Amino acid sequence: MKGNETMLDFRTSKFVLRISRDSYQLLRRHLQEKQNNQIWNIVQEHLYIDIFDGMPRSKQQIDAMVGSLAGEAKREANKSKVFFGLLKEPEIEVPLDDEDEEGENEEGKPKKKKPKKDSIGSKSKKQDPNAPPQNRIPLPELKDSDKLDKIMNMKETTKRVRLGPDCLPSICFYTFLNAYQGLTAVDVTDDSSLIAGGFADSTVRVWSVTPKKLRSVKQASDLSLIDKESDDVLERIMDEKTASELKILYGHSGPVYGASFSPDRNYLLSSSEDGTVRLWSLQTFTCLVGYKGHNYPVWDTQFSPYGYYFVSGGHDRVARLWATDHYQPLRIFAGHLADVNCTRFHPNSNYVATGSADRTVRLWDVLNGNCVRIFTGHKGPIHSLTFSPNGRFLATGATDGRVLLWDIGHGLMVGELKGHTDTVCSLRFSRDGEILASGSMDNTVRLWDAIKAFEDLETDDFTTATGHINLPENSQELLLGTYMTKSTPVVHLHFTRRNLVLAAGAYSPQ
Amino acid sequence: MAARWTADSDESDEGWSLSEEPASSSLSPLSSDDEWLDNMESGKMAPPKNAPRDALVMAQILKDMGITEYEPRVINQMLEFAFRYVTTILDDAKIYSSHAKKPNVDADDVRLAIQCRADQSFTSPPPRDFLLDIARQKNQTPLPLIKPYAGPRLPPDRYCLTAPNYRLKSLIKKGPNQGRLVPRLSVGAVSSKPTTPTIATPQTVSVPNKVATPMSVTSQRFTVQIPPSQSTPVKPVPATTAVQNVLINPSMIGPKNILITTNMVSSQNTANEANPLKRKHEEDDDNDIM
Repeated sequence: MKGNETMLDFRTSKFVLRISRDSYQLLRRHLQEKQNNQIWNIVQEHLYIDIFDGMPRSKQQIDAMVGSLAGEAKREANKSKVFFGLLKEPEIEVPLDDEDEEGENEEGKPKKKKPKKDSIGSKSKKQDPNAPPQNRIPLPELKDSDKLDKIMNMKETTKRVRLGPDCLPSICFYTFLNAYQGLTAVDVTDDSSLIAGGFADSTVRVWSVTPKKLRSVKQASDLSLIDKESDDVLERIMDEKTASELKILYGHSGPVYGASFSPDRNYLLSSSEDGTVRLWSLQTFTCLVGYKGHNYPVWDTQFSPYGYYFVSGGHDRVARLWATDHYQPLRIFAGHLADVNCTRFHPNSNYVATGSADRTVRLWDVLNGNCVRIFTGHKGPIHSLTFSPNGRFLATGATDGRVLLWDIGHGLMVGELKGHTDTVCSLRFSRDGEILASGSMDNTVRLWDAIKAFEDLETDDFTTATGHINLPENSQELLLGTYMTKSTPVVHLHFTRRNLVLAAGAYSPQ
Repeated sequence: MAARWTADSDESDEGWSLSEEPASSSLSPLSSDDEWLDNMESGKMAPPKNAPRDALVMAQILKDMGITEYEPRVINQMLEFAFRYVTTILDDAKIYSSHAKKPNVDADDVRLAIQCRADQSFTSPPPRDFLLDIARQKNQTPLPLIKPYAGPRLPPDRYCLTAPNYRLKSLIKKGPNQGRLVPRLSVGAVSSKPTTPTIATPQTVSVPNKVATPMSVTSQRFTVQIPPSQSTPVKPVPATTAVQNVLINPSMIGPKNILITTNMVSSQNTANEANPLKRKHEEDDDNDIM
């Protein structure tokens, strides 16, 4: 027992208990008047009593917040300022339409405005006080290919379906057959053209979702023969003879538990039980780098929304922030008491959320590695996390089957979605944040009304002083639909740019 | 999905053995299977009574350790793990005892084998205070600035897996008058390509300007002998900056006979695909703060 880390953590750190002043005084009086100070000594030694003034909480409120292995979060843990706003999009000249994206004359062109900006309104056109400064963390510059991607993105956005309770998305399910319970990770590119699957046999397989096949670059000897001045040189460098719909990437020596495409679709990351995170090139379909740092299984990895950075979390209870051109991590996010199961970047790339087996979700600042938020309330290890597209909210899913919604700015739980009967292993907001889709091991996909769930919070009169949360029991009204699969747990969810849902899972017959 | 690893080396001597015994079969195997299948959904299962003895013992162990809900394949997984662990230990013990020239494997060997394996595979992650400490150190350094227009952003070559880990033998048989070939190209000097290298008499004066220091097993380094007749000194720097996009490059590789040496002049004729696209390993690799 001596070497067991969890035991050591329990012995050395204190369990945090939040209690109102009146209740605390009652407790103290009761324990001290008994003339038996044993219990009082234990309380003083092993519990950290975080006292707040005000009304004591009801049982329901307390039940919502408890569950973590270390007690609740101290009040000051959630008080620092978090820049949850989005970064300003850079100005891009769209060749066909004559508009700039960035904000001098935005107000006068309502009909060309993208639907997603409507909900935020004009706040984001001026400097959003909640958005981080543009250069808070260094971000890679926009290349020409990135600008082309953005233009494509904008064009797709204009064709996007506006979702709501009366307009539900269609769900296209990709079932992995013959995986024999070996499918351990899935990722889809942002433009929904590629699917990658990580398997228990240590392979990573990449499929093309569109009819366009996967091509790798020709061998060097062939490259010397092509005409470099021709216009279609980028097509000529691709090898037609080995084009296929599936490419298999070999290299890991253990099951692959995490996969993530880069936003520019040049790279794929995979994290494995062998403790490494591998970077694969999607132009040559070979492995470029192995990042060694975790010496224990790495459960999840994700690229930053702007590329270049990526985060990984594993069994060693830390999450690490890496850059593709550094062989050692840039930041280490230490603080969890148990394995880090899930790691996600905030849309503005300045924060990283980690969900852990100690049943807490922590939000870390990329700039200095500090933990800026601790969210407790789940009653089981957390397996899925997702940020809302506007950056203000976080949804988390755990083995207790509940999806919890958190307000990042205030640091409070704002919603609880009950309905799933088994672990919620995938979560995704729609592109404009109107619908939250959740996939679970109980073989269903459920759609929840996110606008309604967050609607009373849009107004700013919010009781943050006491930090008491009042969760409405409205899971039933928020549930827009339950879609069953045939014994296929839903491992991954993805909204295409036009708001079609792609879901993935492996058929596991019982 | 995440699963806790528990290292329990005491598990193997719980008084169970791997000896085979005929499994007692019940009279109505079908009904017990049905009931077993019915229990599938709940996650709690006792294996059917006609399961092998090992499976029953493993189920009992799981129950004793307090695990009540598990999928049926967990028993198979645990049995495989136990088998693999015990055979690894016994193999190691055999090696130790034969090293000590003992006639039999005895308990000391097994004990040593267990201890060595435990230090190697059943380690637990570092303690929390240690992690907080190194995190604090690591997080103090500011985030490095990103150089614009740097092509594919990868770590220095020695930390990548992009180096060729093979060497081709030449099939071309040269005449006896040509004992050795001296390389004309330096590894990075793309600019020297247009000048067709001529084959000169080999000089033993070598000017290795890039010496491969720690030679890893997988990657190769090239030292280049620049014959004195070549007047232009090798300037690797301006050339390599053009070599950023590894994929699209006016290819340097042709069927040349280039002698690859590793700190010595070798008399083999080896044709090789020199990779002039390789970045110099001393250029910028150790600029990272260790």
